[in-house]
Amino acid sequence: MVFWIELLIAGLVSGLVIGLVALSITLVFGIARFPNASAGDIMTLGAYAALAGHAATGSLFAGGVAGAAAGAAASVAAYALVFRRLAGRSTVALLVASIGVAFVIRAGLALAFGHAQQVFQVPLVRPWRIEGVRVHPNDLRLAATAAASLAAVFVTLYLTPIGRRMRAVADDPSLARVSGISPVRVMVALWLVAGAACAIAGVILGLRTVVSPEMGWEMLLPGFAAAILGGIGNPAGAVVAGLILGIAQEMATPFVGFTYKIALAFVLMLLVLLVRPRGLFGRLEGVR
Amino acid sequence: MEAYLAAIATVALIYVLLSLGLTLHYGLTGLINFGHVGFFCIGAYAAAILSTKTGLPVAAGFVAAAALAGLAAWPIGLVSLRLRDDYFAIVTLGFSETVRLVVTSERWLTNGVQGIPGIPRLFDGLGVGMASAIALLALLLAVNAAAVALFLRLARSPFGRMIEAIRDNEEAVRALGKDPARFKIRVLVIGAAVAGVAGAFYAHYIGYVVPDQFVPLITFYVWMAIIMGGVGRISGAVVGTVLLMLFLEGSRFLRDALPFISAVDMASVRIGAVGLALILFTIYRPQGLMGDYTRR
Repeated sequence: MVFWIELLIAGLVSGLVIGLVALSITLVFGIARFPNASAGDIMTLGAYAALAGHAATGSLFAGGVAGAAAGAAASVAAYALVFRRLAGRSTVALLVASIGVAFVIRAGLALAFGHAQQVFQVPLVRPWRIEGVRVHPNDLRLAATAAASLAAVFVTLYLTPIGRRMRAVADDPSLARVSGISPVRVMVALWLVAGAACAIAGVILGLRTVVSPEMGWEMLLPGFAAAILGGIGNPAGAVVAGLILGIAQEMATPFVGFTYKIALAFVLMLLVLLVRPRGLFGRLEGVR
Repeated sequence: MEAYLAAIATVALIYVLLSLGLTLHYGLTGLINFGHVGFFCIGAYAAAILSTKTGLPVAAGFVAAAALAGLAAWPIGLVSLRLRDDYFAIVTLGFSETVRLVVTSERWLTNGVQGIPGIPRLFDGLGVGMASAIALLALLLAVNAAAVALFLRLARSPFGRMIEAIRDNEEAVRALGKDPARFKIRVLVIGAAVAGVAGAFYAHYIGYVVPDQFVPLITFYVWMAIIMGGVGRISGAVVGTVLLMLFLEGSRFLRDALPFISAVDMASVRIGAVGLALILFTIYRPQGLMGDYTRR
């Protein structure tokens, strides 16, 4: 029993990470209308920036802020330099270009920081034991950070004027445009939020495991799987689906082994696409 | 020098086979296949396992490579019928990663990360040296020519008109009472089988297979080739692959010229260059070097 509760906790934390990535993917899909394959490598960028920030200042918080800022900046730069020029082109063009962006980021990071795995130099903390269940205080802190970041995205999306404009563009871009909503400002806001969310996910993942140039790319499939499971373009769905996926992956590890965790995301995604293409929670965008 | 040229030509011809398959999938039919390396991997492992663990002739390995890769494409085709094309891209990407996970994990069959060494080279009977290399090149050329002939025939047949119509307007095809699904499945299976044959050639040429040879980067090498050459043109697939080889081999010479760049760094430079090429071509020259498929 204790074993399963520990897995559940681990699953919750990794589910929050997947949820952040899925939220970023689903927002971009809903508003810019293409599956953004560069999300994973923005994560990696965030992790490396946080690593550098932490090493320079000694403060984990400053490192995290640096990571989020770097992710947001890179994401807006990708929009300004690449995706903006492809507006109105086919989804394939944007998808291929986003793969290109991902590769460029990964190559840059590997050249700048090397291929070796790196870890955050943080002191080891003895886990608490609650009724025999091991709980790592750091895990709780990371989960709280992830939850706060998710909350910040939702506050931006549902309680601020720019969030309202973003949702308007997601619903109907031309109607939004004739209503006087500036597409460029919405897009910049979108890429800021999407980049920061990915980067924070990367920082959390890097703190829990290790930082390497491939870490983000490996999270891309779970991210996509959760975005699809939650119903593409549905922010709350993406987060819930991320949690489900994270927990399912951890809980399944004793049965299917460590390497098949990623395959589980793929299988789940296939099943959802076949059985319920709109995702678990349905969604206004009735296309698939 | 001759040996080096023969080696480049061999690898180039293997990549041409991959590009031809992807041209059939994406260029002619519009299926965004981001998992091409998965079929390549299945073909390579099929040939490797059959030739090292059973006493079957090498030809059986090639047949199995084509058959298994084609068979793997079958369920993907079934799924693709119900998916919008961008979802299909993600599903195929997931497929190729899953294939790689399977060959990494199923040690009893694939020997895991250690891979399978000692795959016999083709035409070893002719002795080591140029004779066997040239025999292999001739065989590869023949297979490539056959594939090009097959695809050109396909493209000009009623079947070819149908798949191009699916690419250009699937709804219209459906409105005419045709079922795009059946055509898509066939296209996927044929292209995958060709990729499987490419995999078998690769396994027999390199002599060993390990999971790390089948990363998604290979898929995007092939994408880069067909985008550079011009999507939807069979000549584009060939030209693009030649350019790709120039790029891959050129980067090797660049390393000789710049010895301070380490091998791993060079791998990163290569990934970055592929990314940059994908971006620049989609922005500035979406029709590729050989022209636009819509204005053929």
